[in-house]
Amino acid sequence: MAPVVQVEQLEKRFGDVRALDRVSFEVEPGEWIAIMGPSGSGKTTLINILGGLDHPTGGRVVVDGLEIGNLGERELTRYRADKIGFVFQQFHLVPYLTALENVMLAQYFHSITDEKEAAEALKRVGLGDRLDHVPAALSGGEQQRVAIARALINQPKLILADEPTGNLDEANEGVVLKLLRELHEAGHTILVVTHSQAIGNLADRRVELEHGRLARIVSPSLAKD
Amino acid sequence: MPIRSMFLRILWKLLGASRGRLAVALIALTSGAAVCSALLNVNLDAERKLTQEFRTLGANVVIAPPSGGGEAALADAAVLDHIGALHLARIVATAPYLYVAANSGTQPVILAGTWFDQVSKMNSWWKVEGGAVTSREDRVHCLVGVTAARQLGLSPGSSVQLRSGEHNLSLTVAGIVTTGGAEDNQILTNLESVQSFAGLSSRVSLVQLSVSGTPPEIVEVTRKLAETLPELDVRPVRQIAAAEGTILGKIRGMIFWTIALILVLSMLGVLASMAALAMERRRDVGLMKALGGTVPRIMRLFLAEAGALGAVGGLAGFLLGVVLARQIGERIFGVVISARFEVLPITILLTVGVALLGSFPLRLLGRVRPAEILRGE
Repeated sequence: MAPVVQVEQLEKRFGDVRALDRVSFEVEPGEWIAIMGPSGSGKTTLINILGGLDHPTGGRVVVDGLEIGNLGERELTRYRADKIGFVFQQFHLVPYLTALENVMLAQYFHSITDEKEAAEALKRVGLGDRLDHVPAALSGGEQQRVAIARALINQPKLILADEPTGNLDEANEGVVLKLLRELHEAGHTILVVTHSQAIGNLADRRVELEHGRLARIVSPSLAKD
Repeated sequence: MPIRSMFLRILWKLLGASRGRLAVALIALTSGAAVCSALLNVNLDAERKLTQEFRTLGANVVIAPPSGGGEAALADAAVLDHIGALHLARIVATAPYLYVAANSGTQPVILAGTWFDQVSKMNSWWKVEGGAVTSREDRVHCLVGVTAARQLGLSPGSSVQLRSGEHNLSLTVAGIVTTGGAEDNQILTNLESVQSFAGLSSRVSLVQLSVSGTPPEIVEVTRKLAETLPELDVRPVRQIAAAEGTILGKIRGMIFWTIALILVLSMLGVLASMAALAMERRRDVGLMKALGGTVPRIMRLFLAEAGALGAVGGLAGFLLGVVLARQIGERIFGVVISARFEVLPITILLTVGVALLGSFPLRLLGRVRPAEILRGE
């Protein structure tokens, strides 16, 4: 099966700073990848490029057969709507929209809205009784679950999560990890930026970065063996 | 659910989310719209109201025999019947005058016979000390010009004995009139009394007319009168017509520039609110872009919000403007200015335009880079 993500000799510079330096790896469909490394190692830069939020300076990035380094702003916007589901550390929900409307917002920018489908997505993450709550009325864990429902609503090829449990307490971290595990089992391709060794151990593979370079790729299951 | 519904749903939430800032913008728009609406209402009525006002400021058309002097310089009073027979609605007042020389004791004085009911209609600005004479039939009283009164030592209530050849006329002074014109040197009384006194039955020296309308409309009335009275000179008082035209032009110009200034000020108010709003919305726009929202689609939401604000401000401003126009009408023109509904779409269009121009800072949100916003920069 063709890899869903191909990263070849990827470079990203901010002035004189080399945020990513000739990084290469591939992701198979349905894989759960943990991107790890110390602060400033280029994890978020990598996920931003994969998500079409930033342009690479060099190298190639192909997602689902589409070389995104060559795309203009308009095509990148379409790419994000069609192929990517984002989950952010800060949740990033629109504060004046309800949980339901936050999920429908992703549908709205993708194609057409379907209130029933959005409500169903929220029920799947355990928020069936919180549809009409605005983010301020939800706990951190609940807000992150709304973000996960929003990320999934358009059946993206890739779920990109940047420190999804970074702002959560232990109980809520457990709930979000359980959801990610379920998504993985359902066949979703997930790339998670994390500092957490626990999440790293749950992934199929860990892509470890140091100073913008690919330090190693580890398969936790093989490492345990 | 169709996209349009979600569009309206987000729009509704946007309007509710920044109530404080939007209220400031709405107040700026409503205030601007109210002044525009009031001035446009006044402008549409101003010409009519002002020309009515001008008609209380004296005659603007004079009919007199061609200059030649002596008896020939008098016209037959039948001219008044001819003017009446034309039934010209624009003629507000018709005042005939017969001027004769008389003596009060040893002092010479000009005695003018006229129709007081018409004189008072076209010269409401005359200042009368004592009592005014308003009846055409009053043969007892007279008004004495302020200069003549000083020379003859007359005051309200005193009697004046006038003599011309063998004829005598005794009158009671009702009031002393100040006009700033030739009347200040004259004694004014009933036309028929003066005609009998001078032995000039059915003769008049001239007829003053007060004609309402714009300068071209006055010229048209003058033309019709000249056609009907070919043996007489029918002359518009050009200085007055020109002054009226100039005043109307200046008022229109003032209204135009005031509206322009008010709209610019409203726009600055909206601009300030929207600039603050744009800063608040950067995160939302970054997120919407990350979720796949195109710049035109996101901007449509914000422009619709500004447009809705403009429409509401325009409607509210129109209603307030109608009240304001009424106040202006009553206090300045002394008349009721009614609501002109053709002003409503103009006010709303202007206000929506101002709101859209004032929301320029929101358009800068199109340049927001989602990666920077989501990183928290």
